[in-house]
Amino acid sequence: MSEIIKPGQGLLYMKVGTHARESLDDIIERKTREIEEAGFAFWGYGGSTCHPQTMVQPFARDYERRGSKIYLCMQPMVSTHFAEPLRADEFSVDGIDWQEIPDSINVLGSRYALAITDLRKEEFELPLESTKVALGNSMGAPGSKYISGRVDKACLEVAEPDASAPEKSVHIGLVADIVKPYAVYVRNRRR
Amino acid sequence: MAEPKEIDLRLAINAISDVVQNRPRPLREFDQIYMKTGDMVLQSELVARWADGKRLAFVGDGDAISICVAYLHKRGIIDYGPSEIVVYDFDERICSAVTRFADREQLGTLRSELYNCLDAFPGPTNFDCFYTNPPWGASNEGESVKVFVQRGMEATGYSGEGMVVIADDLELQWPKQVLANVQTYAVSSGFYIQKMMPRLHSYHLDDAPNLRSCNLIFKSLSSTERTVKSSAISDPGRLANFYGRENPPRVKYVRERKRLDYGKAHEDEYAFDLLEAT
Repeated sequence: MSEIIKPGQGLLYMKVGTHARESLDDIIERKTREIEEAGFAFWGYGGSTCHPQTMVQPFARDYERRGSKIYLCMQPMVSTHFAEPLRADEFSVDGIDWQEIPDSINVLGSRYALAITDLRKEEFELPLESTKVALGNSMGAPGSKYISGRVDKACLEVAEPDASAPEKSVHIGLVADIVKPYAVYVRNRRR
Repeated sequence: MAEPKEIDLRLAINAISDVVQNRPRPLREFDQIYMKTGDMVLQSELVARWADGKRLAFVGDGDAISICVAYLHKRGIIDYGPSEIVVYDFDERICSAVTRFADREQLGTLRSELYNCLDAFPGPTNFDCFYTNPPWGASNEGESVKVFVQRGMEATGYSGEGMVVIADDLELQWPKQVLANVQTYAVSSGFYIQKMMPRLHSYHLDDAPNLRSCNLIFKSLSSTERTVKSSAISDPGRLANFYGRENPPRVKYVRERKRLDYGKAHEDEYAFDLLEAT
């Protein structure tokens, strides 16, 4: 079992696949190159379940204060995502002060992005029934109930195994470390 | 409370649709999460009946229930409603949407005022009742709800009624804690819980699509209006997790970028490919 699956560990779970018309393999190759060149990469995403400012940043800071970190755990899946591959050219930690995204980093077709390093293929089963939502409006809900329908990503904390809960594992195939500034807003201003 | 009458549902839904069309898009970082339209119809009718003939203050109103209430009454879809409605909101887009709609539909009973609830309440403090659907306080045990409720109580001079819309869920623990804390706060402020209507409303809330809210209705023990000395709220302990964990307020007002094409498709959203000349 992966080192990540231990009670108290924080992780950001998301399903991944084709994004903005780019295949997952191509994305992994591009992001790995960006990490080599810039020291980190921005991993684009959308939706409000992992809002940069109200969810991911406080979640990650909490673990940092405890001398730990959170991991991005991704479940590869076959998907289509036809969002326009528009490149974001600015990012912001707080939605107020904006900075240019370095030319070596490309975030396409997303509103938010996670700051990641050490992107790696790592295969293990994540027992969602032994996780709970770490913060926000669904705080405390079991991951196995929370991840359903349109909810495909979450800030989760690994809990003690619950033998009474129906098993609902997902296969993780890709992992990264989430690093400062953890998560940001991105936008494209150039016309 | 006024007696409900038969309502033409089609007319009511279409009226609420007019209001929804006029709303600014929500800013999630400030917990602007909009109620679903069907629930807005029922909630507006309820609020109109509850506040019939009374002066009603809205402490924040992203949902635009205030406009719905005034509009349903004005259109004669319901024959009851408040005598006056004032919306206090820190988002100029919301205040302008109220003013714009009231002007267009000649809703003489409805107006808005730009106001941040962390500032002292500007008055008047002789409203009969207040309504608020505040940030639900998942990360601060309801402290953000208490701030909005405090302003509502001040608006009534601590001598009226209030309707508070907050999260209500049978499984999650935090909404129960918030409900308990808010009720305790209301009691300690000289109010009692008149009614609780559980799990009524759904929201456009993608991180908790099944989370519902209830109506919590307070009434003051005293019918005597008291002098209110409202003051700004700056206690870091109350503000630290106002908009979620480690997210204190940073914005005094959300300002509206005025535009001539309000309510229309924005020109930067599209371009034309012209037909070839024949």
